[in-house]
Amino acid sequence: MSKASVLVVVPAFNEEESLAATLDELARTTRADVLVVDDGSRDHTSGIARQHDVPVLRHAVNLGVGAALQTGFRYALERGYDIAVQLDADGQHDPAYLESLVEPVASGAADVAIGSRYVARTGYRAPRARRLGMVVFSTIVRLGIGRRIADTTSGFRAYGRAVMEVCQHDFPQDFPDAPLLITLARMGFRTCEVPVEMRERGAGRSFYTLGKSLYYPYKNVLASLMALLRRSA
Amino acid sequence: MEFLSRTQIILALGAVGLALFVLELVRSRRLSEEYSLLWVVASTAVAVLGFTTPLLRGITRALGILYETSTVFALGLAFTTVMLLFNSVKLSRLSHENRQLTRELAFLRLALEEQGAVTQTPSDGGGGA
Repeated sequence: MSKASVLVVVPAFNEEESLAATLDELARTTRADVLVVDDGSRDHTSGIARQHDVPVLRHAVNLGVGAALQTGFRYALERGYDIAVQLDADGQHDPAYLESLVEPVASGAADVAIGSRYVARTGYRAPRARRLGMVVFSTIVRLGIGRRIADTTSGFRAYGRAVMEVCQHDFPQDFPDAPLLITLARMGFRTCEVPVEMRERGAGRSFYTLGKSLYYPYKNVLASLMALLRRSA
Repeated sequence: MEFLSRTQIILALGAVGLALFVLELVRSRRLSEEYSLLWVVASTAVAVLGFTTPLLRGITRALGILYETSTVFALGLAFTTVMLLFNSVKLSRLSHENRQLTRELAFLRLALEEQGAVTQTPSDGGGGA
């Protein structure tokens, strides 16, 4: 890996079943520092992180994955990291791709690198409803910023320091997807996509429950429109 | 001035009662002055409309409504909507502040852990905060 200091931020909400495997895998594959943000879990998530000698920032109540990531950003900024990578605790994100994900940000080619399932042919097949959503949001983002981002919903991303500075103040709390990409693009940040393969989640439940799957499209369409209407800072 | 209808009297008395209750809530510090304002204004408005028939009638005609009672209902509905919206705005701000505080708490906790002042968060064993 390059010389830039990298922090892997693992947002975790009730992930005691899969967190250990994820942290073990990280320890095997990377020398980057790891931070677990326990987003108000009611299980042993924090304890498992501590057993792995990983620092834990624990939210007393559940705030949402975006807020957890924001907490990670602040930690990264305070401790002088150049790059923060979001890596989900459920095992979907393969740490083997960390290096290729960080590379464009470390080299200065981009401010945000998105681990994308669709740039190259990968094994990933999403359910139909989800595929439809991805097409819709990809279209919204393209209309918004005039450029295509294939995988707007991927949470596997590397963020540079300048982006983190901005995001620690203003960041979508629940689903940091399409609206975030539009906001960042309008601020002049450069995004790029890096092909990755994603796996099925290991254990535990997804952040995206039925109620959220109905709320998600609404919220993201509205937030995307608002991101376009706001004057760019 | 015309005789007040029974409805108007009930309405006006209700409004006065509401205003008194709001003031009592402020007095006993269960309602902040800031939030009491809208309620005091609203109940005063209802009381005034209740006592002054010509004003209510004038508004009713101006709005093209057939009956005075409908005007009262319409105004009440408008007020309720504004109040709910106002509450939603307040709620959004509160949850934003809540997030900031929760985050701050997490950082303080970590700082304490790193100094060895505390070893484990109490909720490691489950059961939430």
